[in-house]
Amino acid sequence: MILNMDGSKPIYLQIGEWLEREILNGNFGSDQKIYSQYQLAELFTINPATAAKGLTLLAEENILYKKRGLGMFVSPNAKEIIINKRKNQTLKKLVIEIVMESERLDVSKEELIQMINDVKTGEAGE
Amino acid sequence: MNVIECRGLTKVYGKTKALNHLSFTIEENKITGLIGRNGSGKTTLLKTIAGYLRETSGEIKVFSEKSFNNLMVSANVIYINDQMNFPTALTLREVLNVSAMFYEKWDHELANRLFDYFSFQSTHYYNDLSKGMKSTFNMIVGLCARCALTMFDEPTTGMDAAVRKDFYRALLKDYIAYPRTILLSSHHLEEIEDLLEDILLIKEGREHLHMPIGELKEWAIGIQGLSENVEEWTRNKEVIYSKDIGVNRTYAVVKNNLSEADHQKAKAADLALTQVTSSDVCVYLTSKTKGGIDDVFIKD
Repeated sequence: MILNMDGSKPIYLQIGEWLEREILNGNFGSDQKIYSQYQLAELFTINPATAAKGLTLLAEENILYKKRGLGMFVSPNAKEIIINKRKNQTLKKLVIEIVMESERLDVSKEELIQMINDVKTGEAGE
Repeated sequence: MNVIECRGLTKVYGKTKALNHLSFTIEENKITGLIGRNGSGKTTLLKTIAGYLRETSGEIKVFSEKSFNNLMVSANVIYINDQMNFPTALTLREVLNVSAMFYEKWDHELANRLFDYFSFQSTHYYNDLSKGMKSTFNMIVGLCARCALTMFDEPTTGMDAAVRKDFYRALLKDYIAYPRTILLSSHHLEEIEDLLEDILLIKEGREHLHMPIGELKEWAIGIQGLSENVEEWTRNKEVIYSKDIGVNRTYAVVKNNLSEADHQKAKAADLALTQVTSSDVCVYLTSKTKGGIDDVFIKD
C-alpha cells in the first residue's frame, strides 16, 4: 500500500486501516502474530512511534491483543469487530452523504434505491 | 533520560541575538525535526549543542554535561552540515578509514557498502565532488559513526530526489537497528515528517512549538467561505494566516481548539473546514505577517 502523505489523514490512522484490511483479507488469522511496530516502520518508512500508535489504536478496539514481550496478536473475533465498526461508522457516514447529495440534486428516494440496485446488478453481471 | 537540556540558552553575535532564551529538552532515542526559517537560529543551536560554540548565557547540557570544549560530548556527538572539514589531502576512502578511528561505534562494513552503492570512487577527493555528492558522502559519515546523538543540518542539500529517498530510508533502517537520538533540520518538512517523532519549531531564536508530530497535524484548521462570514466567525480566534481567494471569499487558518458551537456556526454560515498540513502550519507560524509575501505587494 502507498500511504497518502498529503497530510489529509494522520499516518497512524492509515496504518490502522491498512492492518484492518489485512485482517479482513485473511492475511492474518485469529491468534496470529501481527507486524511489529518496527516492521511497519520499515515497510512504510515511518517513525516506529507512529506505527506503534496505529497498533495501539487497534488494541484499544480489541481487534488486537498484547502478549507481554511477544508482541501483538489478532483477536479471535477481530473480523467481526472490524465489520461491525465499518458498518456502523464508515458505511453509515457514506450513506448519510449519499442521501444529502441526492436531496441537493432532487433525486427521489425511489430513484436512489433504483441507482443502488443498478450498481448491485451491474456488479453481479460482471 | 534527557539527552539535551537547554535552559534560557542565549547566543549573541555582536548585536544580533541568534538564540534568545531558548528552553527545551530532547529525550533519548527520539528523532526530532528542527524546523525554522532561514536565519532563525537552527544552525547556531546545533553548533552550540555539538560544543562548537560557547553559549553567551543560559545553560546547555548534553548527556548531563556542559557541551562546550567537552571531550565526552565530542566523542558521542556527530554534527553533519554542508561545510564539513575533511582533510583535503586524503582520498575519500582514506577519509572513511580515518573516521573509523575517531568513533567508537563506527560501522566500517556499512560505510563501505554505502560508499559502493552511491558509486563513490576510492581515489577521488572530497573537494572535487559535486554539491549533492558531498552531501551524500557526509550522510555516510553521519550514519556510520552511530553516535548516541546524531545531528544532521540540512543533510539533503543538493541531493537529487532518488538519493534523498534513499537517505531517509537508510536513516530509518539504521535507527531501528541501532536506536539513538537524532536531530534533523530540514526545509522539507513534508519529506521528513513521517520519519519524525517530535518536532521543534524555532522562530527568531526562540522555541515556538515542541510537540509530537502527530499533534502538529491537528494543531490548526483551515476555513473558507464568504469573507464577511469568515471574518465574523474568526473574530475571537487566533488567526495565524488569512488570504483572499476569488471574489469575496477568504481562506483563514486558526488554532484547532474549536467547540461544538464553532462547528455549528461554521455549518450555518456555509464555511468549509479543511485540514492544514504540518508544513503549512510551520510556514504560517514562522511567517512575520499574516498574509505572507502577498502583504509586500499591497499598496495603500
